[in-house]
Amino acid sequence: MKFGIFFELSTPRPFTRDAERAVYHNALEQCRLADELGFDHVWAVEHHFLEEYSHCSAPEVFLTAVAAQTRRVRVGHGAVVCVPEMNHPVRVAERAAALDIISEGRFEFGTARSSTWTELGGFGVNPDDTKKTWDEFVRALPQMWMQDEFEWQGKAFSMPARNVLPKPYQDPHPPMWVTVTSPGTELDAADRGLGCLGVSAAGYDEQERRTLEYHRRIQSCEPVGGLVNDQVHTMNFLYCHEDYRQARDIGVPMVNAFNVANAHLYWTREAYPTRAYQTLGNAGAAMKAKKPPADDPSVAKGLPEGVGVGDPEHLIQVIKRWESIGVTGINFLLNAMEMLPQEQVLDSLRLFAREVMPKFRSPEASKAPVWAPSRVAVKQAAAC
Amino acid sequence: MLIGSADVKILGERSPRIASFASEPLMLSDVACLQLTAEMRNSAREAVLPPALHPTIPPVVSIQVWDVADSPVGAFGFAMCRVSCRSGVRARGFSTAAVASTQAAAQILTERFGFPCVLGEVTLRRHYDGVDAEVMVDGSRTLGIAALDPEPMDLDDVQYTGNLNLAHTPLGLRLAQVEVDHVASRVERLSARLSAFDGEAWGNRLLDPYFVVSASVALETVSIQPIRFVCKPDELAFTGTESVAAAGKT
Repeated sequence: MKFGIFFELSTPRPFTRDAERAVYHNALEQCRLADELGFDHVWAVEHHFLEEYSHCSAPEVFLTAVAAQTRRVRVGHGAVVCVPEMNHPVRVAERAAALDIISEGRFEFGTARSSTWTELGGFGVNPDDTKKTWDEFVRALPQMWMQDEFEWQGKAFSMPARNVLPKPYQDPHPPMWVTVTSPGTELDAADRGLGCLGVSAAGYDEQERRTLEYHRRIQSCEPVGGLVNDQVHTMNFLYCHEDYRQARDIGVPMVNAFNVANAHLYWTREAYPTRAYQTLGNAGAAMKAKKPPADDPSVAKGLPEGVGVGDPEHLIQVIKRWESIGVTGINFLLNAMEMLPQEQVLDSLRLFAREVMPKFRSPEASKAPVWAPSRVAVKQAAAC
Repeated sequence: MLIGSADVKILGERSPRIASFASEPLMLSDVACLQLTAEMRNSAREAVLPPALHPTIPPVVSIQVWDVADSPVGAFGFAMCRVSCRSGVRARGFSTAAVASTQAAAQILTERFGFPCVLGEVTLRRHYDGVDAEVMVDGSRTLGIAALDPEPMDLDDVQYTGNLNLAHTPLGLRLAQVEVDHVASRVERLSARLSAFDGEAWGNRLLDPYFVVSASVALETVSIQPIRFVCKPDELAFTGTESVAAAGKT
């Protein structure tokens, strides 16, 4: 089981220069501590215009700072929006390669297509096209990283032959992922040999169904890149405290604040009739998450099942359950709207690392390089 | 967190009265429903909503024009303007104004469901290559929509959200949650422009749908469901929601 931390960089009103600075620098401090404690991944989203919910519009800059301030933890785009109006694919390839070099090969590359009208409308993107452009991006980007002469004739973009530079430090390229909110995207990931990066809180049963199908399907994938990434990560929240009741009293409002801010966004499906968006993004998923039985005293009141809010013993049980259904990593949101003071966030991280992490790995494993797909996986990919 | 800032007292002065909540759905047949969504400017996003509701980001106005061929009150035309919002985490539309073309339709929609209806002329014309809609009230053209180039869509590709109608109810001044079920037999997406929109006539001069996002037209049956929940207009839905049945007001 891998443990990561996941940043939206949510920022409460009133928006001030100092408030945004504090959000960014608190997050960097959390990353440095997570690196020391043995966490495996730091992920940062790419979102635009999402007031309060996410002020993380230049994740490559944030992640570069993380890479420069840490030694072991892997840094991940969670994820780059693969539509040409927002990101030209050559610039995506260049930035990713540079970040892989700066991080000494600790970069993870997530891909997405955005699910809000707030963002798509702001960039003048036709929602009908985003799935197609995402597919084109994930096929083109590995070629840019692996070939000395890359040319492309497509719908999202076309270009004559050029050498896209620099090349990533990881050979043949960083592990690739796709963020999964809508049901069925896990199948798109599996078919292409991409890792499954969950960014919404599905319940156990739904996640188990998706994970089983993903693992089955990826056995017969046609990899778009030079390696297969068969990891399944889910997104969760983390607030860990010795006292379960206190954990609940502090953690539940934090989770609710995140969900409320999320609900205020304007979803593409709501704005624009299209076949390309069949669900309301992760807001829809969050609302559908199965609630625990009302008479289960071990589960935080007001939270869907499987949420990482509680005392260490509760979190161990929750993570064991996720592990049992085939999830290989959990990425935690540590705060929302800065509701928790920074010291509480850091204490929660420390307690988790001290009491929970050792139940899933040895101390040595927390210091060893984090596993990532390697050339061996390339051979496996060839056999797919 | 953004919260509406409109003065509930002022909103209440022009709100309709629901003498008793509807106990049966209102079934409308052979309905052509044109829906247009347009972004409005941030400057008014809080001012047009009561404190119970949250604006969306970006703020959006949603307009619907119905041509109803058959109903318990006969054929009629209907148009309404709503501000897209969130009640708690639920997607809703806060009704700012509505127009019905017959007295009987206006009466049933107002008195049973709290739509803020006035009488007017509502026209929806479907052509081979588009749809036009127009609303006239007291001789003034308050709405004009020209929609062109229909593209067929799947029947469930259009999203409709429930209404919140501010009305004086047996429980007091409340936001009545009105669920309107649309069962479509044909759906088309169109490119549209607003040729006329009078914000004052649609409930608030601050309403400025300046950037049209999309338009669709559906042929469908519509059922307006009995009201099951109401919300206090000055309290967030998490604590301000009341069950009509529990209050014994059905």
